[in-house]
Amino acid sequence: MKIDLKTFLAWFDDRLAVTPLVKYMTKKEVPQHEHSIWYYTGSSILLFLFIQIVTGIMLAFYYKPTLEGANASIARIMTELPLGWLVRSVHSWSATFMIAIVMVHMLSIMLTKSYRKPREVTWLTGMMLLVVSMVFGFTGYLLPWDDLSLSATKVGTNIPAAIPVVGRWVTQFLRGGDDVTGDTLTRFFLFHVCILPLVIFAILVVHILLVQKEGMSIPLKEEIAKKTVPALPFWPNFILREFIIWLVLLGTVLTVALLFAPSLGPSADLMAAAPEGVKPEWYFLFLFQTLKIFPANMGPVTGEFVAVVIIMVGIIGIFVVPFLDNKPETKKGRFFTYLTYFGVIYAIAFSIWSLL
Amino acid sequence: MRINNAYFTRRKFLNSILGGWFGAVIVSFISPIVKFVWPPYKEPDEVKLVLADFAAMPPGEVKIFPWGVKPGLLKRAADGTFIAWVGVCTHLDCNVSWVPDKKQFYCACHIGWYDENGTNIAGPPPKPLRRLDVAVEGEDLFVRKPGAGAKA
Repeated sequence: MKIDLKTFLAWFDDRLAVTPLVKYMTKKEVPQHEHSIWYYTGSSILLFLFIQIVTGIMLAFYYKPTLEGANASIARIMTELPLGWLVRSVHSWSATFMIAIVMVHMLSIMLTKSYRKPREVTWLTGMMLLVVSMVFGFTGYLLPWDDLSLSATKVGTNIPAAIPVVGRWVTQFLRGGDDVTGDTLTRFFLFHVCILPLVIFAILVVHILLVQKEGMSIPLKEEIAKKTVPALPFWPNFILREFIIWLVLLGTVLTVALLFAPSLGPSADLMAAAPEGVKPEWYFLFLFQTLKIFPANMGPVTGEFVAVVIIMVGIIGIFVVPFLDNKPETKKGRFFTYLTYFGVIYAIAFSIWSLL
Repeated sequence: MRINNAYFTRRKFLNSILGGWFGAVIVSFISPIVKFVWPPYKEPDEVKLVLADFAAMPPGEVKIFPWGVKPGLLKRAADGTFIAWVGVCTHLDCNVSWVPDKKQFYCACHIGWYDENGTNIAGPPPKPLRRLDVAVEGEDLFVRKPGAGAKA
């Protein structure tokens, strides 16, 4: 029997069925129209997710999730290991870029109404991915274990406690007890590097499969006119365009990471007073400010409780948008467009307010 | 398209330029990752000990000292000089111990034995224990890799 590369590859293809997949890729088409640019946000998120995985694994090689060792191990990564400061900086900045592009991705879908039938579940999984990404950010913020990250985590994990009955239980689960301790740190590390990655991959697989199943959504205008939209082959035309965008984003994140490396405060002291300027990550700022404007007590309940309920209603509202805005495709659903603009202005205004 | 007398086509030329550039980009990303994941930890060239800690050793006694992050073995010879070894078995890197009753070095991992001169005499060790140079300089005792010499 003659064995060459061709027969060797054919053996694998027989068993793994790669050819149909490649065929699918070459057949897949991406519509071209005035809003096509937003299609690229999805793959850009994947780029940053990939950077997070690579740099995250690199950091985890040297990071020690313990009360005594955490801060010192980050200091060692920053000062002793070859380019360690850059690895941490890229991890931190790439997280920011990822969340930012996730928000752009989401807004583009909001405004082009791509969440409508039959893509409701795609939207739901997308929202879940946003929430998981934000929990990634929240858990990662504690890991350097300096005074700022300790205080921010104390505040963040205290928020569920405002909800009667179950809230206290949630807080205790997050903290591993009544207070933030070394156990919280170990727990957050485990969330950050083990549990959340499994969760995000599970949801991501469903999300991407659904996108493949339904194909790219085209804008309402074209859909109403029942026009056929010109399309670009996914492979290689679209992929190569994506590649250009990846390179630009990669260069941008590296440049920013190079110029503005994250700081590292002294190791957190559980007994010390909170430092000045405790702030969460930027994508939590508007929620932080929302919590701040409520008075301590509102009638029989605390202001915090009211704020938490309002925020929860808001989040659930965004989740169920496809079911509220379920008009036939010929109707534009302007109310939800205006609501989106309002939400964006609210988030930006409150974020800026919180920094004043 | 190929220009007259050219060795390659224009497409081939452009593909090589682009491919080479792409390869350079990839290498520039991979190399810092490699450096970070394999940081340059090396065993020391030289360790400085306090002579007073070892001066009272009778001939034939063996003491342990830190050779970087692994044990070093320091033995007082019959003539009063010091002999040093890296206290790691030459078979599979386990730390060895000194057995005073037998006057032999012993590795518990695979029952390896070395005599009091560090020569492998029984079990799987393929080579004698690694020798280190010892120098007494004033109040200090320097242990050095063979051939490392004194630092200027």
